[in-house]
Amino acid sequence: MSDIQTSDTRKDEALHEPGQALHVEDLTVAYGAVTALWDIDLDIPPGVMCAIVGPNGSGKSTLLKTALGLVKPVAGHVRFLGRPVRQMRGQIGYVPQRQSVDWDFPITAREVVEMGLYRSLGWLRRPDAQTRARAMKALSELGMQDYASRQISQLSGGQQQRVFIARALVQDAPILILDEPMAGVDASTEAIIIALLKRLRDEGRTIIVVHHDLTTVQSYFDWLVMMNVRVIAQGPIREVYTPENLRATYGRQLAMIAPPAGGRDG
Amino acid sequence: MADLLSSAIVQTVLAGAALLGAISGMLGAFAVLRRQSLLGDALAHAALPGVCLGFLIAGARDLGTIMAGAFLTGALAALAMMLITRRTTLKTDAALGIVLSVFFAVGVVLLTYVQRQGRTASAGLETFLFGQAAAILRADLWIMGGVGLVALAVVLALWKEFKLVSFDAEFARANGFPVLALEAALTMLVALAIVVGLQLVGVVLMVALLIAPAAAARQWTRSLGGMVLLSALIGALSGAGGAFASAAQRGLATGPVVVLTATLIVLISLALAPERGLLWQALAARRARARISDRRVLATLQGLAEAHDNRHYPAESGMLKTALGAMPRAERLAGLEARGFIRPVTHPPETTPHWELTRAGHREADRLTRKTRDEEQGQ
Ligand SMILES: Nc1ncnc2c1ncn2[C@@H]1O[C@H](COP(=O)(O)OP(=O)(O)OP(=O)(O)O)[C@@H](O)[C@H]1O
Ligand SMILES: [Mg+2]
Repeated sequence: MSDIQTSDTRKDEALHEPGQALHVEDLTVAYGAVTALWDIDLDIPPGVMCAIVGPNGSGKSTLLKTALGLVKPVAGHVRFLGRPVRQMRGQIGYVPQRQSVDWDFPITAREVVEMGLYRSLGWLRRPDAQTRARAMKALSELGMQDYASRQISQLSGGQQQRVFIARALVQDAPILILDEPMAGVDASTEAIIIALLKRLRDEGRTIIVVHHDLTTVQSYFDWLVMMNVRVIAQGPIREVYTPENLRATYGRQLAMIAPPAGGRDG
Repeated sequence: MADLLSSAIVQTVLAGAALLGAISGMLGAFAVLRRQSLLGDALAHAALPGVCLGFLIAGARDLGTIMAGAFLTGALAALAMMLITRRTTLKTDAALGIVLSVFFAVGVVLLTYVQRQGRTASAGLETFLFGQAAAILRADLWIMGGVGLVALAVVLALWKEFKLVSFDAEFARANGFPVLALEAALTMLVALAIVVGLQLVGVVLMVALLIAPAAAARQWTRSLGGMVLLSALIGALSGAGGAFASAAQRGLATGPVVVLTATLIVLISLALAPERGLLWQALAARRARARISDRRVLATLQGLAEAHDNRHYPAESGMLKTALGAMPRAERLAGLEARGFIRPVTHPPETTPHWELTRAGHREADRLTRKTRDEEQGQ
């Protein structure tokens, strides 16, 4: 890749590693005394559907939040398609792991989805008929059209999750980042979500998903990042999903549970 | 009463009180949704030193200067709280407690100092502790109206940003919205609401005027717009009600009456509001129980009829009891009979009551079975 190594102060302005959807370099993040990420170097090419796996507390959510500029790193930098995140606002859809919203907020499912379009509306402009129509379309892609005017407090956990995925979807972003979207959803919803993500990938978007289910990771994804505070392995899933790497990521026992099913594609 | 209302002074006081209540209600809705009720309390107490400073600077009870002073110390308190929670390990409630008591203590010291000075107009100052609508002057109305318009304009202009930040600040940040500035704007608006509301209810009770209308409004609406509007209306109503009561009954303090009025509306809302009210929920639970009981009676009768290959199979009440686990309430059976779904029959030689499903009853049972199935699939 092009080696644009300008001086550190100018780094933010230069287009750095534009060939990668996500480029992370020397990233270290600490919460007080806890080191959550240590010297992460990462490249995810555009157009892949990438899983990030690792045990609890291995820093997966921290990696995503830092990439999105929600957590400040101790060192290192992040580029999306060669640009720092603040130049990419609105072009990255994000579904956090646990919604920290007030579930009793007086708001309907459709209004939540419309929030994904607020940025593109710009200041002073109200959501209009077109905003509504796009929100409805995103909801129906997740099978939630019948719940559009429900209060979010009246939805089940899996339905709430789908609403928040729709909110990321409606942004029509080239990069989608989802932190454990499959947590707490049933098998048919999981199938809907995966089919949707694969379709978006086939449109040329980059999908980055923190995933916990090792039994499905090979059939869902084509790119893999294995991490545990450090990056253990990264690359096309067929090359990376090996017993040695699983052992290095999770320790001995887990490598037995989900042996690599050599040769299957995502 | 008509006498009272025609008096120009009372009109001024009523209009002022309604205006103050509306502003506090509107901005209080955001404070409640952002779980900042306690911040409101701290800001209100922190306004007292500003009130005294404003008085000292103006040398008289000049509302503009006093409000500016109150806003200044309120904003200072908000800033102090932000710094404490960010820079130390103290939790928000501890930071609130510290800031509230320190600022209020300084306020009380200043108040005592001002009163010791024995200046003529200082008598009006302690009304800021508990509020006094009667002290509102016609000229004050202009200031209040101006403040209200500014607040309204800001809320309308930044409506969707405020909605976003109140609901999900992290998403707003990930989308590049200036979250800190928007949150600061909302906090400043709350401080503004407090400053104007002080005249009406005073620093001690101000938090009630901020949260009570919003809490009541939340019960009745399902949208942010509805909640903010209704909260403003309830605030206005409480303000005017309190002002009227204290005008009619000399010596009755305005602030407490305003707060009691608002609290009464909260209680009524908690009990009666559709969907969220306690009464409504109790009735809904009862209706649901009745509906389920009816469904099970019809399904049982139909099942018995099918099992015996007889559409008019007379089921003995004991059989119903066994099948359902308990005898359905007599009024439920009477209700089904009145709707033509079941019919009491005798089945000689037995003397106990028997029930059979009518043709309409079969249709209804079929319909309910379909409905149950659809509902299960819809999950
Ligand atoms: N806000 C925080 N303050 C302090 N420590 C934190 C914070 N968030 C995360 N940590 C710590 O950082 C480490 C990484 O956490 P992170 O949430 O990134 O893990 P994760 O891989 O997403 O785990 P999970 O699979 O459970 O979601 C953990 O040790 C966690 O305890
Ligand atoms: Mg996580």
